[in-house]
Amino acid sequence: MYFKRFTTFAAVVAAISATSMQSSRADDYPSRTVTVVVPFAAGGNTDTFGRLVAEQLDKRLGQRFIVENKPGAGGNVGLGDLARSKPDGYTIGMGTVSSNAINQTLYKNLPYDKEKGFAPISLIATLPNVLVVNPDKIKATSVQELIELLKKEPGKHTYASSGVGTSIHLAGELLATKAGIKMTHVPYKGSSQAILDVVAGHVDMMFDNIPTAAQQVKAGKVRALAVTSLEKAALLPEVPTMASIIPGFEATSWHGIFAPPGTPPEIVEKLSKEVQAILAEPAMKAKLEGMGATPVGNTSAEFKAFIDTETVKWAEVIKAANVPPQ
Amino acid sequence: MDIFSNLWLGASTAFLPMNLLYGFVGCLLGTAIGVLPGLGPTATIAMLLPITFGLPPESALIMLAGIFYGAQYGGSTTAILINLPGESSSVVTAIDGYQMARNGRAGAALATAALGSFFAGTVATILLAMAAPPLAAVALNFGPAEYFSLMVLGLVASVALASGSLLKAMAMIVFGLMLGTVGTDVESGTPRYVFDIPELYDGLNFVAVSMGIFGICEILRNLECEQERSVGVKRVTGLMLTRSDFKRIIAPILRGTALGSFLGVLPGGGAMLASFASYAMEKRISPNRAEFGKGAIEGVAAPESANNAGAQTSFIPMLTLGIPGNPVMALMVGAMIMQGITPGPNVISDEPALFWGMIVSMWSGNLMLVILNLPLIGLWVRMLTVPYHLLFPAIIGFCCIGAYSINNSVFDVFVMAGFSVIGFALSKMRFEPAPLLLGFILGPMLEENLRRAMLISQGDPSIFLRSPLSLSLLIFAVVVLGLVLSPSISRKREEAFTE
Repeated sequence: MYFKRFTTFAAVVAAISATSMQSSRADDYPSRTVTVVVPFAAGGNTDTFGRLVAEQLDKRLGQRFIVENKPGAGGNVGLGDLARSKPDGYTIGMGTVSSNAINQTLYKNLPYDKEKGFAPISLIATLPNVLVVNPDKIKATSVQELIELLKKEPGKHTYASSGVGTSIHLAGELLATKAGIKMTHVPYKGSSQAILDVVAGHVDMMFDNIPTAAQQVKAGKVRALAVTSLEKAALLPEVPTMASIIPGFEATSWHGIFAPPGTPPEIVEKLSKEVQAILAEPAMKAKLEGMGATPVGNTSAEFKAFIDTETVKWAEVIKAANVPPQ
Repeated sequence: MDIFSNLWLGASTAFLPMNLLYGFVGCLLGTAIGVLPGLGPTATIAMLLPITFGLPPESALIMLAGIFYGAQYGGSTTAILINLPGESSSVVTAIDGYQMARNGRAGAALATAALGSFFAGTVATILLAMAAPPLAAVALNFGPAEYFSLMVLGLVASVALASGSLLKAMAMIVFGLMLGTVGTDVESGTPRYVFDIPELYDGLNFVAVSMGIFGICEILRNLECEQERSVGVKRVTGLMLTRSDFKRIIAPILRGTALGSFLGVLPGGGAMLASFASYAMEKRISPNRAEFGKGAIEGVAAPESANNAGAQTSFIPMLTLGIPGNPVMALMVGAMIMQGITPGPNVISDEPALFWGMIVSMWSGNLMLVILNLPLIGLWVRMLTVPYHLLFPAIIGFCCIGAYSINNSVFDVFVMAGFSVIGFALSKMRFEPAPLLLGFILGPMLEENLRRAMLISQGDPSIFLRSPLSLSLLIFAVVVLGLVLSPSISRKREEAFTE
């Protein structure tokens, strides 16, 4: 029922924009510069993925795709801007597991209509997290040993995160719920401070995004116990998956590209096809895999279904862990 | 010795004509950007990131690094000339630098800043080459408990920043601490004082607040009495330093360099703290302390050396551990990742040409900056003779662009505007802005680290006394507090500073 209303609305918007503005028709789209909103700071993973894809869209579609960073409130500021921009395909934006699946439950107020959401273009890549421990503080060499230790000494050990309600924090909560253990959560502002304190031994362990953590593991500064993707990670092939110990455990950080709600479906589809083609290129694949990411690329419908499952999954973790709404 | 072959390798990378060129372009851009108020290195590097994709990794990073320390140089220029700190680390430079400019000594102040920065940059680069890994280990010793104690010391010492009444300085620090509580609470995730405005969830932006409270507020003050201003700035006398100036700045530069080199290694605002800390220290120990706040050359030399040394050594955690200590370093990490190099503890052994090339380029970049900046001083000083009614609209325009560029958000422009009014009201009541800004920076770090340390110790406060580092910092803080509160000293203080 709701979906039907949505499609009618989209069709009306598409019809209006098609008649009033020639340029928003899919066949001559894009006819001018496209802005890609990245709702996080420059230099981070989402920004890197966004820039890599924007650079290729630029080449393939013959128009400038300019990345604009609008960080703030866990991605909400940038997404609020994206939701308010004209749904004509000339403003698109990046989104992540945090901004587009976790925040839906975590924040009491979002600066955009939660129900309307966004028009998903394509998932770009998933990035596994890896559970690392300080080798001097935690003697356990496997997840099983760690769980045993934490059961013996509940609440005595600490895990760091990049902030309350981030995917890194919730991965820890997911472990606590699934294994029935208690750890003390020590939140930081961003993951670089957090991993630094794990390397230094001020905090015992943390889940961290793989590219930075893998370097610390290789240098022997921290010990990796498990990766959180369903498949083993290429950067750390010797590390087992969490799912092989706790069936069904998956907590990846994913990054995708979205259009404002009401963007003409033809434009969304055109962009989706381009992004999928870009992500299938061997050079691009190699680049993303080198960063520890798994390139994906899927259709709007597939991406939407994926987001829906993720939203439900993290809502349950947030409820089980009693994370207060922000 | 190993170090020589390493430096040779670095020199053979850094002195390639192409890399020298990119280094120069970076320094030039950085200086230009630094001179524009509010447009900081973070925004510039973010904008120029795409250009570096096509360059070899060494050239790309040399250019980006050039922008970073070029901006450190440029940021002090506006602080001195028009009381508008272009960079958070040049806020304290504005206090005495601007007074020097008003006394007609803008040239000397700028020359001091350039020479102090060059000396500090050279020392910090040598330090980086010789002792990067052990210094990184020192940084690792700073956990939440140690950071908390360092912040306590900083807060106590910040009272020294004020030159007016002690009570008013305290009030400003507390006001700054309160402003620092705005935003999402890190420990619980609860939003505080955000009024459902998403832009406030990450707190008030430092650059926007300081541009409002210093720069725009200064414009308001000048417009109030434009006649006075043209009289206020005396004729510019002598662009270069006199012999007695040289004598006066040597010790502050050395102390500033030492303090900056050390604090810069600490991730999370170390370099910014360095300039505040060195100013506060000079104000306590300088033989000319009575001149502070009225145009003391030491008040320019010390913080300028400290912030440049800190900028250089802030590369240490990034290069040796792969962990960025500040937003600019995070961008450098992003640039490296795009080049296919993941920064980590192994970068030194895996990419020696890159590591040593960057270190040598830092020194050559500093040399270029000093050559670039000394002749420019005459040009900058002439800017002061531009009629104010032409100058101020341009300054306001650049400030707005600068505030917008922080997060690409109009909200920060409003924050700047709001704080210029607050700053104006405060200046009318003779409250000083510097302690406010220090409270604003230190407050959130103090609170975060206190609560984090307590979480780690399971609620046991003895964690602050058990760590020798933390204990000595706290003892030092108590000593400083004793000095501030002891009646004889504070009476002298009142006499010296209250008019």
